[in-house]
Amino acid sequence: MPELKSIIPAIAIRHVSKRFSGVVALDDVSIDIMTGELHAICGENGAGKSTLMKILAGVITQYEGELRIRGMPRHFRDTRQAEEAGISIIHQELNLVDQLSAAANIFLGREMSGRGGWIHNRRMEQAAQQLLDELECPIDPRQPAGELRVGDQQLIEIAKALSLRSEILIMDEPTSALTEAEVERLFRVIGRLRKRGVTILYISHKMDEVFRLADRITVLRDGQLVKTLPRHETTRTEITHLMVGREIESVHFPEPRQPGDVVLEVQGLSRAWPGHARQWRLRDIHFQLHRGEVLGIAGLMGAGRTELLECLFGAATDPLEGRILLNGSLVLFRHPAEALAAGIGLVGEDRKRLGLFAQLSVRDNINVCTLHHTTTVGLLSGPRQRRQAEQSVERLAIKTAGVEAPITSLSGGNQQKCILGRWLLTNPDVLLLDDPTRGVDVGAKAELYRLMDQLCRQGLGIILTSSELPELLAVCDRILVLSEGRQTAEFRRNEATEQKIMEAATARVGGA
Amino acid sequence: MGPPPDSARSLLGLAGRYRNELGLAIAIVLVLGITLIFNQDYLKNPGQNVKDILQQTSLLGIFALGAAIVIISGGIDLSSGSVIVLCGSVCALVMLVLAPYDIFKGTYNVRDVGLAVVLLAIFTAVLTGFLVGTFHTWLITVIKLPPFVATLASLVGLRSLAKILNQQVTAQLGNEQTTVRADDVTFGLLRQWWVALLVFLVLGFLCWLLMNRTVIGRHLYAMGGNEEAARLSGIRVERLKWLAYSLGGMTSAIAGVLFVAKIGSANPSTLAVGYELNAIAAAVVGGCSLQGGVGLIPGVMLGVLFLRVVIDAVAKVVRAGSDDYQGLIVGFLVVLAVAFNELRRQAGGQRKELFPGLLGLVTIPILALLAGIVVYDLSGPTARGLQSGGIAAVCTLVVLLVCKFLQGRRQATG
Repeated sequence: MPELKSIIPAIAIRHVSKRFSGVVALDDVSIDIMTGELHAICGENGAGKSTLMKILAGVITQYEGELRIRGMPRHFRDTRQAEEAGISIIHQELNLVDQLSAAANIFLGREMSGRGGWIHNRRMEQAAQQLLDELECPIDPRQPAGELRVGDQQLIEIAKALSLRSEILIMDEPTSALTEAEVERLFRVIGRLRKRGVTILYISHKMDEVFRLADRITVLRDGQLVKTLPRHETTRTEITHLMVGREIESVHFPEPRQPGDVVLEVQGLSRAWPGHARQWRLRDIHFQLHRGEVLGIAGLMGAGRTELLECLFGAATDPLEGRILLNGSLVLFRHPAEALAAGIGLVGEDRKRLGLFAQLSVRDNINVCTLHHTTTVGLLSGPRQRRQAEQSVERLAIKTAGVEAPITSLSGGNQQKCILGRWLLTNPDVLLLDDPTRGVDVGAKAELYRLMDQLCRQGLGIILTSSELPELLAVCDRILVLSEGRQTAEFRRNEATEQKIMEAATARVGGA
Repeated sequence: MGPPPDSARSLLGLAGRYRNELGLAIAIVLVLGITLIFNQDYLKNPGQNVKDILQQTSLLGIFALGAAIVIISGGIDLSSGSVIVLCGSVCALVMLVLAPYDIFKGTYNVRDVGLAVVLLAIFTAVLTGFLVGTFHTWLITVIKLPPFVATLASLVGLRSLAKILNQQVTAQLGNEQTTVRADDVTFGLLRQWWVALLVFLVLGFLCWLLMNRTVIGRHLYAMGGNEEAARLSGIRVERLKWLAYSLGGMTSAIAGVLFVAKIGSANPSTLAVGYELNAIAAAVVGGCSLQGGVGLIPGVMLGVLFLRVVIDAVAKVVRAGSDDYQGLIVGFLVVLAVAFNELRRQAGGQRKELFPGLLGLVTIPILALLAGIVVYDLSGPTARGLQSGGIAAVCTLVVLLVCKFLQGRRQATG
C-alpha cells in the first residue's frame, strides 16, 4: 500500500443525500477518499453506488450536503467542471462514438487544431498512440471504436482520462465485460496508474477483485454508509455480510440431482462465419442434455457461447450444419416462435436490449409469450392476465409494488426473474440461460441459483452460460468448454476446476 | 388527512393512467369555450358547425388511426396523403370504366353506375391500400429499407402514379383528363357528414379492440418498444409489420374513398396534399411516441378532434381561410404537445433555463418575429396592422429577454 501523501483527502464527501421523487437514493453519506489510495465501493444494486459516482462526476447536480475536492468545497454543474477538477469516470456502459476512430474518441470535445482552426488528425493520432502504448493496448488509433473489443474500448476511455491528466479516476464495474486476459491487463494498468499517484475509486460486485486491489473498502446499503474498512482488517465474508445485511446461503446444493432422459441432443453442429478469418462461429459441436441437469457452457468472450444458444433457439439467421434432436426427434427452427412452440426458452444475455419491454408493465412483460392463455373468445381478459402474472410473481418471489407497476421500477435481479417467469409460463422442456446473473446483485444471484436447482428437480433441462467461472462451478452438473467456436473439453462437476477450465478455454485450436 | 377512500383512489388511478386523454378532453372544452367568448359564429348555426367539425375530424381521424398504429409498432408511414390520392383515383376510375352504356343517349352513364359497381370500386380502392401497405412491408422487412425511406418513396411516387393512371385511362376512353369525376348518385350518398363519423367511430372502436384487447395488439406494443426482444420472445415481427402497414394503407384508402365522394372528383394535384403529416401530428398530439411502443387509440382520436377544433376555432376568430393557418397551427400544437410531455418528464424539481447562452439569445428574436408576423397578419393589410405587429414583436422581445435575464440570475445565485 503506497503511503498516503497528504492528510487532506482527495475527495471528502460530507453528509451527502439525494432523493429521487420521494425515494432516498443516498442518505447522509460521508466518506474520505485519501490521495493515492484505491478505494473500493461495494454494495448491492440499488445501494446508492451509482448515484454517488454520478454526483462526483457532475452528472447529478442537485443534492444535499457538501463535496470537497482537495479541501476545496465544490459543486459541479456538469461533467466538464468535474473533468476540469481532475475527476474522470469510466462508466459501466462505455461512452464512445462507434463511428469515430480511437484517437478521435480520446480527444472528443478537445480536438487538437492547427493554424486556421483546421483539425490536426496526425498529431492526435500520435498522442493517442503514445497513450495506448502506455496502456498495452495494441490497436491502431485510426480504427473506429465500434470495431474494437470491449476491453480495448475501455482502455480508450482510460486513455481519455489520462489525456485529461485526471488525478481521480472512478471505475464502475470495469471488469464486467472483460476476458480473463483483459482483466489481468487492466489490473496492470491500474497498478501503473497508482504509481503515478492517481486516486482510484473502484466500484465492483466481485470480491476477488476488491480484495486484490483495494486499500480500503466502503460498503453502502440502501443508500446508507455501512462501514469503511482497511482491506487487511476485514474478510470477504464480512464484506458480503455487510452488503446484504444477512448471511448469503451457500450456493452449493445439499443433495445431488438425478439426471433423467436425454431431452436435447446436438450432433456435429456448425455455424459458418462468412468473411471472417475464423470461418466458423461454431464448428462440430456435440453434446447431450438430460432432464434435471444444468449444463454449463464456459468460454471466453467470442468463444461462441451466445452463438450456440442462438442456434438451439432458432434465432440464428444463417444456415446451420449438423443435427439437433429434441426429445429424440429432429428439429430445425427457423424462428424463435418455432423453438418456443417446441418447448425451448431463451433468456438473453443483455436484459435491456434482448429481454425487457421497458414501456410495458410487469404483467405484460411476464405474459408476453403466453398472452393466448389469457383470452376469452379471442379478447384479452384483464383478470386472467393479472392472475397469470400474479402467480409468476408469487412463484418466483418477485419484489414489485404490483403486477401493474412499470417493469423499470424493479431492480435488475427482479427484472431478470420476470423474464424467467415469462419463459416458465411457456412450460419449456429446455431453458437456455445466457449469462443470466450479469448485473444482478449478490442476494438475487443466490435466489436465481436456487430457482435453477428447483426447476431442474422438476425435470427441466437447463443450459447455462456465464462469464464467471465460480458461478458455473457452483451450479452446473457438467461444463462444456468452448474456445474459438470449438469444443475443447467437457468436465463433470467433481472433476472441474477453474484451472482446468481456463486451460481448455484458452487452448489454441489448430488452423481453420 | 387520511388516505382517500377506495373509490376515490381508483378514480385517481384511472385519471393518472389516462392523464393524456383527460388533458386533451379538457383542452378541447377550453378551446371551444374561449372561441365562444370571442366569436358567436358557432351559435348562429350550431348544427352545421358541429357537423362540419365532426366530418373533418372523422376524415382526418380515419387515416390518423392507421398512422398511429404504425407509429406504435415502431415504424412511420409518410405515405398517407399519396395513398389517399391513389386509392381515391382507383375508386373513381373503376366507376368510370364500368359505367353502363346508355343506348338512348349514346353515352356512358357515369351518374348512375349502380350499387354493385360502387361497392366494387370501394373494394378495389381498399385492396389497393392493402397492396401498398404490403409493398411497404416487403421493402422494410426484406430489402431492409428504413420505414422512413420506404414510405417517403411512396409519398413522392404514388401521387405521380395516380396522375399517370388517370390520364392513361381517361385517354383510352377518349377524353384525357387528370381529374376523374366521381358523381355517381349512389356513391354521392357517402358525402353525408355522418357517414365519415360513423366510419371513424367504428374504425376507432375496432382499432381500440385490436390494440387493447387482443394478443396481436399487445405484441404490436411490445414490438414497438423493443423489436429484438419481441423476436426473441417468439413474436413474428414481420407479420406484425405487415398488419401495421396494411392498416396504414387501408385506412388511407377508406379516407380516400370518402374524400372523393365528398369532393365529387379525384384530382391528384390538389387532393390530400400534406395530409400524412397532419395524421402523424394528430398521433403525436394524441400521445404516441415516435420511438414506438407508446400511445392509446382513444388518445389519438381525441388528438385528431383537438387538432381540428383548434384549426376551426382560429378560422372562426380570424375569419380567414382556415387553410392559411392550418400548417402554422399544426406545427405549433405538435411542438407544444411534445415539449409539454418532454418538460414534464424532465421535471425533477429542477428548474430549467429556457434560453441558455447564445442559442437562447438568437432564439428570442425568432419568437418575437413570429409573434409580430402573426399579429400583423391578423390585423389585416392596414398601416395599423403593421404597427400592432411591430408592437407585439417588441413586447415579446422585451418579455423574453427579461425572462432570460431573471432565469440566468437565478441559476448564478441558486
